[in-house]
Amino acid sequence: MELNNRKRELVKEFSPMLEKTSLLTKIWIGTLISIISVGIYAFVIQFKEGHIVTGMRDNVVWGLYIVNFIFFVCLSYSGAFISGILHFFRTPWKNSVTRIVEIITVLSITIGPIFILLCIGRLDRLYYLFLYPRIQSPITWDIIAIITDLVGCFIYLYLTFIPDFAILRDSPDLKLPGWRKKLYKYLAINFQDTPDQRKRLHKTTSIMSKMVIAMALVAYTVLAWIFSLTLQPGWNSTIFAPDFIVAGLYSGVSVIIIAMYLIRKYFKLEKYIVKSHFIMAAMVLLVLSLLLGYFTFSDYFAKWFSHKVADTDLLHTLFGHYFWQFILANYIGFAIPLVILSIKKLRTIKLITFAALIAVIALWLNRYLIVVPTLETPYLPIQDTREEFIHYTATWIEWSLSFAGIAAFFLFFTLLIKFIPIISMSGIIEDERRQIKANKKANKSISSK
Amino acid sequence: MKSNLYNHTFFISIIVALLVNINCIAQQNDASNYRTRFGFKTVKQADNSRLLEVSFIALNKEDRKDKPPVYGAEIQFFNILNDEEILLGSSKTSQEGIAQLILPENQKYSTDGEGYINLRARFNSTDALSEEEADLMVKDLHLDLNLAEIDSVKTVTLTAFTIDSLGFKTPASYVYLTTYVKAMFSKKIINEGSISDGAYTFTMPQSFAGNPKGNLTIVSIVDDNDEYGNIIQEKTVHWGTFNKPLKQDKNMLWTKAAPIWMYVVLTILLLGIWVNYVYTIANLFKIKKDGDNLSSEPKKNYSVN
Repeated sequence: MELNNRKRELVKEFSPMLEKTSLLTKIWIGTLISIISVGIYAFVIQFKEGHIVTGMRDNVVWGLYIVNFIFFVCLSYSGAFISGILHFFRTPWKNSVTRIVEIITVLSITIGPIFILLCIGRLDRLYYLFLYPRIQSPITWDIIAIITDLVGCFIYLYLTFIPDFAILRDSPDLKLPGWRKKLYKYLAINFQDTPDQRKRLHKTTSIMSKMVIAMALVAYTVLAWIFSLTLQPGWNSTIFAPDFIVAGLYSGVSVIIIAMYLIRKYFKLEKYIVKSHFIMAAMVLLVLSLLLGYFTFSDYFAKWFSHKVADTDLLHTLFGHYFWQFILANYIGFAIPLVILSIKKLRTIKLITFAALIAVIALWLNRYLIVVPTLETPYLPIQDTREEFIHYTATWIEWSLSFAGIAAFFLFFTLLIKFIPIISMSGIIEDERRQIKANKKANKSISSK
Repeated sequence: MKSNLYNHTFFISIIVALLVNINCIAQQNDASNYRTRFGFKTVKQADNSRLLEVSFIALNKEDRKDKPPVYGAEIQFFNILNDEEILLGSSKTSQEGIAQLILPENQKYSTDGEGYINLRARFNSTDALSEEEADLMVKDLHLDLNLAEIDSVKTVTLTAFTIDSLGFKTPASYVYLTTYVKAMFSKKIINEGSISDGAYTFTMPQSFAGNPKGNLTIVSIVDDNDEYGNIIQEKTVHWGTFNKPLKQDKNMLWTKAAPIWMYVVLTILLLGIWVNYVYTIANLFKIKKDGDNLSSEPKKNYSVN
């Protein structure tokens, strides 16, 4: 009975998030829809005209789309990894973060692969990929890995949502439209919070969380292999797979910090998302920045030291044409978070969020520098060709679709947190139930003595 | 701090002396600064021809590193018998200071009573260089290299003999020789030993690949023997174990079908994951069924207000 009251309290606390849509939220959603609309318009042009409207040509066949794909997929895998690990923590503080991580995971794995579709020249032949798959190709492995991961992430997210759907279903006084109540009822699959149901759900979620961690590692490794198994200078590196995993976690933790900051600020959740959450995330980010900096240095140092012609050409391009991007991605992108996060006095919520923002921008640029300059410096010299065929510059079409992807991510995030509380109510209840049990046990042992 | 360089006059003088390059003092190219080294040797080659070789080098008396070869010097080669010189031929020294004369297999030599061929190399004096002369004496040893499989064992047999003026063969003894297999950049020793009673036999090691055709070139060398000088004998035999070029591994990823292990690994991985998904969904149905069995009472509803 005590817990039922607590559930009631929590529903009451989070109901404004679900029931009301402020003017600011409406403007925000409107802006995002406008950006997505421009993206759709750009897509129609690209579909009609072909890839000639993009900056991609014969030599640089991958551009912004692939960069965004790697970035989003990398975000998803890191989210899955962190979410899977958080599941094993039995502390109340995780409830404030898990839902954010889970939503980021699912949204990014949904949006990321769309960029691959944009990158395919003949989209009408997409089904060939499934009709005539080459099992030897890392691209086929990646498609299999992404589809499997997508399904796994959705199942995992759903499992974690079920108890909250049940709580929302059992709150008839929530001022929500009928279809939403029906949807909660349908999605709650008659979960009555009985010990048997709880046990079964917990067992299934535990298995899935382990699977999600393993899948994240495998899928992200396969994504890195798309690059590192080719002989392109700059890609053919054994450090790529661990580097991608660490880079993914780096950007993932950064995005989580930014999301925590925005949600805390907007929904006034200072009670739930406290400074210690930021400090803990900052510590993880600090370790990751050191690891990633070490991997990046090791990779480029080996390339520079070996003095292979193709690698030297690539380094000249990176330190020449892409000098500032390279410095921002690989020096400033690590140095600023490193300084902010390693000095105790600087570890304020705002500065940690700023460090995370720098890390995200640097990581996106880092992905860009992995893809584009390499394609601009192939093994065979490019001769007698037009300047625009050698150097890649993204067109407005690509930028529009990229921003549309980011806007879609934010839009779905906003809609999802309007649909289900961003703080896991069932997680809080579970912790309190555990606490009550522990107290009862302690009381029993005292009385028996 | 005050400098006290004057206290170390001795060390300073040594450093100054080392810094002054002695090469900056004008060199005198006078031949009197040089002495010469006139080396003469003979090698009986694999085709039984005989190589006569002179190495003519000038040596700076003061600088041991300065050893210019004497280029273009005419060297005459003689066969000597009882102070009579029979000219065998002449040759000019190369840029390395080497003069060579190859005498064919059927060259007739005059020998002394003990069967030695006495040879002489001479450089006649010029304005700059004085006369040089070197003698050597060798017996003409016939070295045969036989390569045969005896009872399926690859066997190397070396026979050595001399032929006297009457045409009698005398087996040689105590001739130390080394046998090699020719490789791309050098020779690998496979056996060392002495000929006794005119013969020496050993079993060929099995581990040689040979050239792409599976051929091995086996070389036996008598090096600087007091009686017979230098002798080289070689033969090529099809004893290499490397008969075919190495089969290059096919890149299985470029073939039409992937390697079987790839199908197996991917199937196991995917089955493992998807079976787990099915198990999870089955559990969800069980949760739903459990819920259906319970009566959903209105008391479970939580009022917001």
